Amino acid sequence: MSEETLRLHSIAAFRRGYEEEGRLLGFRSACGFVTATWALQRTGRLVAFTVQTVPSDEFLNEAPYAYALVDLDGGGRVTGWIPGVAEEAELSVGERVQFVRSYKPGVQFARVPSGGSPT
Amino acid sequence: MRETWVVGAATNRYGKMAETGREAATRVALEALDVSGIDPKRIGYTFVSNAFGVAERQAHLGPLINTALGLPDVPSATIESACSSSSAGLHEAFVHVAGGFLDAALVVGVEKLSHLDTLAATSYFAMGADSAFETRNGATFPGLYATLAHAHRQKYGTTSEQLGAVAVKNHANGAKNPHAHFQKEISLETYLRSPVIASPLRLYDCCPFSDGAAAVVVAAREIVGAPSAEPLVIRASARSGSVAEMQDRPDLTGLPATRTAAAAAFRQAGVGPEKIDFTEVHDCFTIAEVMALEDLGFYPKGRAAAAGAAGETSLQGTLPVNPSGGLKAKGHPVSATGAGQVVEIFEQFNRRAGARQVPKTEWALAHNVGATGGSCSVHIFSHR
Repeated sequence: MSEETLRLHSIAAFRRGYEEEGRLLGFRSACGFVTATWALQRTGRLVAFTVQTVPSDEFLNEAPYAYALVDLDGGGRVTGWIPGVAEEAELSVGERVQFVRSYKPGVQFARVPSGGSPT
Repeated sequence: MRETWVVGAATNRYGKMAETGREAATRVALEALDVSGIDPKRIGYTFVSNAFGVAERQAHLGPLINTALGLPDVPSATIESACSSSSAGLHEAFVHVAGGFLDAALVVGVEKLSHLDTLAATSYFAMGADSAFETRNGATFPGLYATLAHAHRQKYGTTSEQLGAVAVKNHANGAKNPHAHFQKEISLETYLRSPVIASPLRLYDCCPFSDGAAAVVVAAREIVGAPSAEPLVIRASARSGSVAEMQDRPDLTGLPATRTAAAAAFRQAGVGPEKIDFTEVHDCFTIAEVMALEDLGFYPKGRAAAAGAAGETSLQGTLPVNPSGGLKAKGHPVSATGAGQVVEIFEQFNRRAGARQVPKTEWALAHNVGATGGSCSVHIFSHR
């Protein structure tokens, strides 16, 4: 993708970043044009979430799962999902999570046990 | 600016329609015109809302409705603003009539999705969200509002019982409304036993998918003469927006567009929230009613849920909220919902609301939200 195209399509670049390159990209834009791009950190904390027992059509085989907003370390709030969460009580606000490469479209996070690697 | 009135309003029974959307829209439009007493030839424009018309493989509904009404030469346009489509249509009608560009206009909203299964209908609804950042991560509309409910509970301690009280109250009102999709009361026990859809929201926190149609006739006071029904004077017609994606909003316990639209509307009307006798608010989920009452300024943040549970928002309360049954029980035919709220206020002002009649009807407010607050309308009405 040319630099010029990238500047006009931050969604495409963001998607390519997490789907193909294994990284979350942050953008700063002015008047709709991307003026800066950088890699965001992979770890962060849960801000708000829900456990969806009833899935969307694209996530039919994934229910139940969590849909979550995550504040990344070093800045940036992103939306993502966490597979394999059956009960709200399994997660808590402020809990540490980490971005992981996914087998599905979407930004996937995993819980980080305190002091350990992602589950 | 000319004083502008709602002179006619009509709806069908929400729920499941056998007829097509265009037929239902035409029927309610005819009824609203009939109620208004306005010569249909005075209609200068038809603003149609039918966000999910593609589900019926039909777009460009305006000429079909106008032709069926015998007004084929009247111009029309489709106004789409997700769940706030027909209140956006009302705003367009108001702007044109109050501004002197039209003498009278017809606003029609209709939706028909009942021929789809729940999954397909959910997918259509989800098209109002952000496909790149929300739907792509598995969010449904219950999921998005559940995230707001979760944040609201974290900050204010909002309980399931308080959310349940919204559902119980709106079902009690819907049970008294012959146009409501659900005309049955539910108990708090029934609510608490219903399955979780997206935590903390349960089945009975969610409005249904409804078919339905509603129409409103708007006219300049000076062309009306003697109205055949008590008109609603449009004291304010305000629209606003919020950052579309929830991830980019600093606060998740309310909808910014409601706050800004309300501020603009109260400024236009020259009154404050204390003047409003009753209100129809956008309760697509129980938490949405709680947030609306706070964002509109009827209650301080964190106080509306307890006030509702204490009965303040019931038909006999200090501020009756959603006497129609709201989206929760009257139903939510997406593009008809905003116009349908005005139909309820019209019926209440004309004291034709039967068992759900609220005692005082001097001033009323209608609040209609698109998606998770990307767009919002607030209208304020009073008597002549």
